[in-house]
Amino acid sequence: MENNTNPHNHKGLLIVIEGTDGSGKSTQIEKLRRWIEDKSYGCMVSEWKTSRLIANVIDDAKDRNLLNATTFSLLYAADFADRLENTIIPALDSGFVVLLDRYTYTAFARDVVRGLDIDWVKKLYNYAPQPDLVFYLDVPIDILLKRVIGTTGLDYWESGRDIGLSTDFYESFKIYQGKCLEEYNKMKDIYNFVSIDGTLPCEEIHKKMISHVEKLLETGKLD
Amino acid sequence: MRLFKSHDLPGTLICVEGIDGSGKSTQLAILRDWLKSKNLDVIFTEWNSSELISQTTKKAKKKNLLSPRTFSLLHAVDFADRLEQIIIPALKAGFIVLADRYVYTAFARDVARGVDRDWVRNLYGFAVQPDLALYYDISAEISLERICANRAPSFYEAGMDLKLSNNPYKSYVIFQNRVNEEYASMVEEFGLVKIDANNTIHSKQILLRKYVTDVLQQKGIQL
Repeated sequence: MENNTNPHNHKGLLIVIEGTDGSGKSTQIEKLRRWIEDKSYGCMVSEWKTSRLIANVIDDAKDRNLLNATTFSLLYAADFADRLENTIIPALDSGFVVLLDRYTYTAFARDVVRGLDIDWVKKLYNYAPQPDLVFYLDVPIDILLKRVIGTTGLDYWESGRDIGLSTDFYESFKIYQGKCLEEYNKMKDIYNFVSIDGTLPCEEIHKKMISHVEKLLETGKLD
Repeated sequence: MRLFKSHDLPGTLICVEGIDGSGKSTQLAILRDWLKSKNLDVIFTEWNSSELISQTTKKAKKKNLLSPRTFSLLHAVDFADRLEQIIIPALKAGFIVLADRYVYTAFARDVARGVDRDWVRNLYGFAVQPDLALYYDISAEISLERICANRAPSFYEAGMDLKLSNNPYKSYVIFQNRVNEEYASMVEEFGLVKIDANNTIHSKQILLRKYVTDVLQQKGIQL
């Protein structure tokens, strides 16, 4: 069984971008994908909760408010397992650079905030290969709030309304995302996140990311 | 974790285990009628029947979409949903909960499919420990004779995903033998009460009622 603390032995590279909602992950992934493809490497992007097996079930269950902390956690774990086995591992074995929008750390943060036992959650994902690089986009709560309100608006689950933190939407989002940020902060050192100030201009963040990816490519693993 | 210590809820949790054709569902149905005739509060729940996910799992099985790990995780979602929605509330209200299959089904089948033994035990660590768990022991050959009286074994029942044999009947016997080996090892590990399923319905019911009477007596219920 693979373990989150052992390097993987697949041919490709596994690069993860983590951060809370509104931290700018998707934008950076798209820029990074173009940059990697310009360098003539194969690149594949996979996002959280997109498996053919279960993603629509999660959306439906969320809409109908059917989930408790455990079923919430397990559905995401099933989604992850399906994507890992059918998309991520095959791409890694073919020598792709796989860019992942969220990884197991998202589950660790959210599940712990929902009151689940961290050791239980970690074991649930202990077969997942360890990434070659994990970027973390660090954005303080007040800026996150402005970004999310200015774009998608406050979502029930992203605000953690299911755990009854507050009946006020704004307060609930602030408390929930604040708790998620605390969990991410705890993980920074444990999992060697490359933490980047997510409030910097988009291009600057991109440049910082490129410098790390370049070093990985220079190892010649993919050549 | 909850599964590894006895619960202090007012209700009583009784489950039956064993491969298909062992007659466990028949035994549980007769027991249910008997307990109800004694004016006891009884509730029944069976494997893979949750509102949340059972239909999704059934569809995925029909399309052969599941790997051993996603198979395991989807059944865990189903179980977690029924545990929180049905089993725990009923135990809190003092019901006798009769479960047709419980976590041991997952431990037996998933491990027979090659899933890591510790991983699947951790996965179900949130389950409530039953007050009584019976394992109806029957050989894979007799099981096959009984279930094939009116249908062929299905893809996952026969463990066809493991490519043990191209012949579904042969594959069924190999796979269900493995499942039985896992059940046998759990007699000691979890204190499953092993019952010879070759006996008559009548003699098995007398034995079952004896065990149930003892367990209920410990809970202060006289029959």
